[in-house]
Amino acid sequence: MKQGMMKKLTAGLMAVSMAVMIGGCGGTDKAPAKSSGAAKMGVISYLTGAGAAYGESIRQGLELARDEINAKGKVKIELVFEDSKGEKNEAINAANKLIHKDNVLAIMGPTLSSEMFAIGPMVNQEGVPIMGTSLTVEGITEIGDYVFRNSLPESAAIPQSIKRAKAKYNLKKVAIMYSDNNDLAVSGYKTIQQTLKEEGIEVLGVETFADKNTDFSAQLTKIATLKPDAVMVAGLYQEAALILKKARELGINVPVVGNNGFNSPQLIKSAGAAADGAVVASPWFPGKDDPKVKKFIADYKAKYNKEPDQFAAQAYDALQIMAIALEKSGSNTDRKKLREQLAAVKDYDGVTGKFAFDAKRNPAMDVNVLVVKDGKFTELK
Amino acid sequence: MEFLLNPYYLQMAMFIIINAILGLSMYLTMSTGQLSLGAAGFMSIGAYVSALLTMKAGLPLYLAVPIGGAAACLLAAVIGLPTTRLRGIYLAIATLGFGEVVRVVILNLKVTNGALGLSGIPSMSIMMSKAFIAMGLGDGLGPLSVRQLGNLSVIVILALLLVGLILFSVRLNNSRLGRAFAAIKADEYAAEVSGIDTRYYKLLAFFMGAFVAGIAGGLAAHITFFIGPKDFAYHRAVEILLFAVLGGSDTVWGPLVGSFILTLLPEALRFATEYRSMIYGAILVLMMAFRPQGLISEETIRYWRTKLLAKKAVQQEEISGGTN
Repeated sequence: MKQGMMKKLTAGLMAVSMAVMIGGCGGTDKAPAKSSGAAKMGVISYLTGAGAAYGESIRQGLELARDEINAKGKVKIELVFEDSKGEKNEAINAANKLIHKDNVLAIMGPTLSSEMFAIGPMVNQEGVPIMGTSLTVEGITEIGDYVFRNSLPESAAIPQSIKRAKAKYNLKKVAIMYSDNNDLAVSGYKTIQQTLKEEGIEVLGVETFADKNTDFSAQLTKIATLKPDAVMVAGLYQEAALILKKARELGINVPVVGNNGFNSPQLIKSAGAAADGAVVASPWFPGKDDPKVKKFIADYKAKYNKEPDQFAAQAYDALQIMAIALEKSGSNTDRKKLREQLAAVKDYDGVTGKFAFDAKRNPAMDVNVLVVKDGKFTELK
Repeated sequence: MEFLLNPYYLQMAMFIIINAILGLSMYLTMSTGQLSLGAAGFMSIGAYVSALLTMKAGLPLYLAVPIGGAAACLLAAVIGLPTTRLRGIYLAIATLGFGEVVRVVILNLKVTNGALGLSGIPSMSIMMSKAFIAMGLGDGLGPLSVRQLGNLSVIVILALLLVGLILFSVRLNNSRLGRAFAAIKADEYAAEVSGIDTRYYKLLAFFMGAFVAGIAGGLAAHITFFIGPKDFAYHRAVEILLFAVLGGSDTVWGPLVGSFILTLLPEALRFATEYRSMIYGAILVLMMAFRPQGLISEETIRYWRTKLLAKKAVQQEEISGGTN
């Protein structure tokens, strides 16, 4: 009797899961859709999983921009969101679905550089423009002519912060710490080394740590004995905050120059007073005295009831740039024209400053070098 | 036809076949009752070795992938000799640890490009497309474009490989080797007393699993353009284990069904957006609650076989009854 029930239940379960699958696979519409007169943009974002906070910020920035663009009415944009879970295979599936099932005009995203390395060649081969809004490692736009990014690569941001810090604090010898199991941090470390060499700053020592480490006393004790003029750190904000705390505890009160991982309000929240003296280069500076920035922050707060971060700001600008190119291309379906117009975008004045694509489809834009002072990001002058 | 040729579905088919091969690798090791969580580690060895061989040494794929598998096998010898003495959960923990060690080593090597991973790995379908163009099929064949031809040929190659492996596994079951595996799985001590060299057979199963996982890794690297250490973290090991647990590890078909469902399910659930992972998790919990032995067990196969045979018998009786 019980056996029979089990069998029925199993059969039922299998039937349900099969039905779900078949339902999910149904429906294909060919040729870029233009039913509503809106240009269909796909978005691949890290919406669930450990890094969902980044993906969520990006989604909100994009949605805010979409609503503004559609309200203006020059062009209409429809966003199709797909989750990548921060995984390569999921991102590949998402990209394939967006291109071949939803027939999107262009793709925004993905969130992680590793995802872009996996989908970029395929998307480029299909001739679909793709723009990363949060990719900072080297070699992204080298994938192909259809690959763009509006996020500042670390190779452009870090030298700025080191140069400005050198001028301000008269740096002669420094120590470096970086997370050796994080692709962003390793890439950042390489840039730091190169910049220090170019600037003629002596490297006293290099210490490594790993993501999710919580104890940095061994590395920092060593660094403290070297008496550097500053410490360069490449990592994510979680570890960076702990490093700052421990460093101050050990009496290392020199400036700490960070990579893009430092670029988060969370850093100040977690490190507290220890964050003072942290230096980072950022395209996004919420304290900027610019009506555009103020309006963006106010609108974002009104809609999502929180402060926009760097990811939201960059995503917002990215879609605005897309809209400019879309308007100039005059077509909701022509991917090639859109690519040409995107590459030609210049003099866009966004919330992250003046923007243009350089010849390699990387952003050519101003960088703000920020320093934490009394628990707030302020411009380092 | 148009529907089936959509690159989205072709890509999914590739992932399904790769995962099915991984499921088989799990089955091969589990057929001696060994619970190994090293598949992700062996997969990463296969992936990195074959990717480096095609990228840096310019080796053709048909050589690079088997060499990747052999490298995984070699490492299985290093790890297998001491660990196959372990049983049950202890082996699981040791192999899980091994997977993490491999990942950390890859993370710190220069040749693997550390945390940045290897990008720009030559893609199998582009290679095939180029081969078709060289054969003078640049304009495609009939209604098929050259890119579709490339994708389809990759699927055919992968499918042939999978069918070969399935045949091998089925054949194995009925061989002296398979009987020894089954005996060890049922009761290791009894098997040893009956004169089976349990250590030899357990190692052999471990090697076979590692080789197949290495092959799967090499193939996966050449259809995704990019591999990084993050792809082979412990969650990957658990995912591969799930193929066997959900599908059932008693028969060859269990892990195959498991990998098929678990690869398709996340894609099929895309319409549910944020709820996707929740529904996925709920389905797993339900499956485990109602089918702890996995979807396909030996009883399932026996049940359907007798049912189908009974039906045939009834039909035949009816036919013969009709002529009377």
